[in-house]
Amino acid sequence: MRKDLRLELRSGESTLALLALSMLVLVVLVFALGAARVRSVDAAAGALWVAMVFAGMLGANRALLAERDNGAIRGLLLSPLDPSTLYAAKLCAALIFMAVAEVGAVILMVLFFNLDFDASMARLAPILVLGAIGFSALATLLSAITGRTRGGDMLLPILAVPIFVPALIAGVKASAAALAGAPFESMGDWLKIMIAFDVLFVTAGYLLFEHVVGGE
Amino acid sequence: MNNPTIRNWLGFSTLALMLASLFMVFDYVPPDAEMGIAQLIFYYHVPLAWVAFASFGLVAIAGIFYLWLGDQLWDDLGYAAAETGMVFCTLMIIAGSIWAKPIWGTWWTWDSRLTMTFILWLMYGGYLMLRASADDTPQVARFGAVIGIVAAMDVPIVIVSVRLWRTIHPAVLVTKQGTHGLEDPRMVWTLLVSLTAFTLLWAWFLMLRFTQLRTRSRMSKLAGRIALATVAASDPK
Amino acid sequence: MPAPVVETRSLAKTYGPAVVLREVQLRLLAGAGAFIIGGNGAGKSTLLRILAGLEAPSDGQALVFGQDTRRLAARYRRRIGLMAHQSFLYPNLTARENLEFYAELYSLADPRACAHQWLGRVGLAEVADTRVRAFSRGMEQRLSVARAMLAEPALLLLDEPFASLDHDGAEIVAALIRGAVERGACVLATTHGIPEIDGVELAVFEISRGRLMQHAHKEEVRRGGRIRSLLGR
Repeated sequence: MRKDLRLELRSGESTLALLALSMLVLVVLVFALGAARVRSVDAAAGALWVAMVFAGMLGANRALLAERDNGAIRGLLLSPLDPSTLYAAKLCAALIFMAVAEVGAVILMVLFFNLDFDASMARLAPILVLGAIGFSALATLLSAITGRTRGGDMLLPILAVPIFVPALIAGVKASAAALAGAPFESMGDWLKIMIAFDVLFVTAGYLLFEHVVGGE
Repeated sequence: MNNPTIRNWLGFSTLALMLASLFMVFDYVPPDAEMGIAQLIFYYHVPLAWVAFASFGLVAIAGIFYLWLGDQLWDDLGYAAAETGMVFCTLMIIAGSIWAKPIWGTWWTWDSRLTMTFILWLMYGGYLMLRASADDTPQVARFGAVIGIVAAMDVPIVIVSVRLWRTIHPAVLVTKQGTHGLEDPRMVWTLLVSLTAFTLLWAWFLMLRFTQLRTRSRMSKLAGRIALATVAASDPK
Repeated sequence: MPAPVVETRSLAKTYGPAVVLREVQLRLLAGAGAFIIGGNGAGKSTLLRILAGLEAPSDGQALVFGQDTRRLAARYRRRIGLMAHQSFLYPNLTARENLEFYAELYSLADPRACAHQWLGRVGLAEVADTRVRAFSRGMEQRLSVARAMLAEPALLLLDEPFASLDHDGAEIVAALIRGAVERGACVLATTHGIPEIDGVELAVFEISRGRLMQHAHKEEVRRGGRIRSLLGR
């Protein structure tokens, strides 16, 4: 995992690309929604999550690319490292990576959607973290699959987005509520859904990862 | 299971029951008082939904067994179930859409059950795209198994989340007040016959496809053995 | 008689109708050095990958340390060093970082010292802090050999260890192989030509039409008795 982070820091390019992508997504949405709707917190929350899904996808593809370059993933599989440990490490790296992208996206969202940096940000943070855990857990597992098939870069969103829908619905709703200044209690159900999604997919990834990275 | 006799019987009984259900839907059962003739599509929509969900369940079960036992048979079953399920799921959405136009005044709405079905459809579409984009190696079979399991795991969360999101779908068969229930016993009989007919149709399709995939697996295994034998036969003594 | 490090039992590998390996019977003891020769696509690399557990045989069995290679537990995996065609190195990390990373993976006592030592051994000390991306093929090859031998594996599988190496590089790698054999490791390598490593008795096999055969080389015949005892026959 430390190696993944160092790789990211070293190349730097993907982090930048991620931020640029988040910015572009937000810009496109601002234009697409029109000035009137840009005032609403619903639009802001939606845009934020769109940016997040895109960033997560890009990040997952990138992380796998590093392993694919010289067949390094084989080197890892050959080592005494347990596939589940490998999954945990990859997940942590993806998570940190996504968290950085999220911070960037939130700042941009506040600027573009005329919001304020206030207490609502503190309530938004745990929601975004839950979303990032779920998405990273899913994308790390799926990118190990799509990374080893033809046309895999296209397949990742096709597989990941439908499965991510429940967390996406819950995340958007909870984020909009948080931005509107609602207290935590009012979004209990959404948070529960996100926690359930996270628990389920981290466990699934942990258990199933060995089957997707195993020999051909 | 691969017995052609069973397959033929399955085919014939499907045909007979399908004809029976057609007759019952159009001649025997009284149309719903409020919805009129459009309600009749319900007798196809519900059985289609049932077999579609059953196939996706089967994909997950076959996936678990494949990862556990590693027998190609389970992968063939899962793949066959995903394909058949996709066909029935698509038909179910189309049938529902035809019903929704006169009743709800729209072909599609983001109601919870519709959304859930659509998400399911997307997931298994992804599964089939993955299978189509790769050769049939044990590795890809494992990928399919993992996606089948993950997708099935996701279903309960999808249901909960979309239900919280919004719902206007009529709650047939689960309502306690009986407002949208099936008042007439003839309705119940028609539904049961349709359900059986579609279940048999599904089983028949599944069996045909499964047998085909089994044959293909066996053939590729045999091709390897034949190649080995051919090379061995041409060895210089 | 000691248990063989490598043992295959009528191993076969087919990709669809293409036969890559068949009836492979190989037995190597600890301290044996063996080379496999054969043309491109003869199945040399496939055999090494199967022995490392990266691929499953289509038929027959491959045993390493008496374990089926399809399910090698971590403690057996750590005793295998594979140098494959692909270097397994991260192009965006430096040579030193790559070795330190793998040393950590194998939980070696002192990853930094170990990496440093191996960089010196393969003659890359001067470029230790250059990213692998900027390496020439030969330099990458040296580093790749170091990576495979880092954890002092009891079974060393080398795929074309001399490819794209200059004279010095080839000498270094030959010396490393000799060292490994001398400390009792089992070394199995592939190569195009018939190799000569001073002071090591090498068994030479040839893969031809999918079959592994003892190569009838003049010198081999002469040294035959000694090799046979090493191979456990």
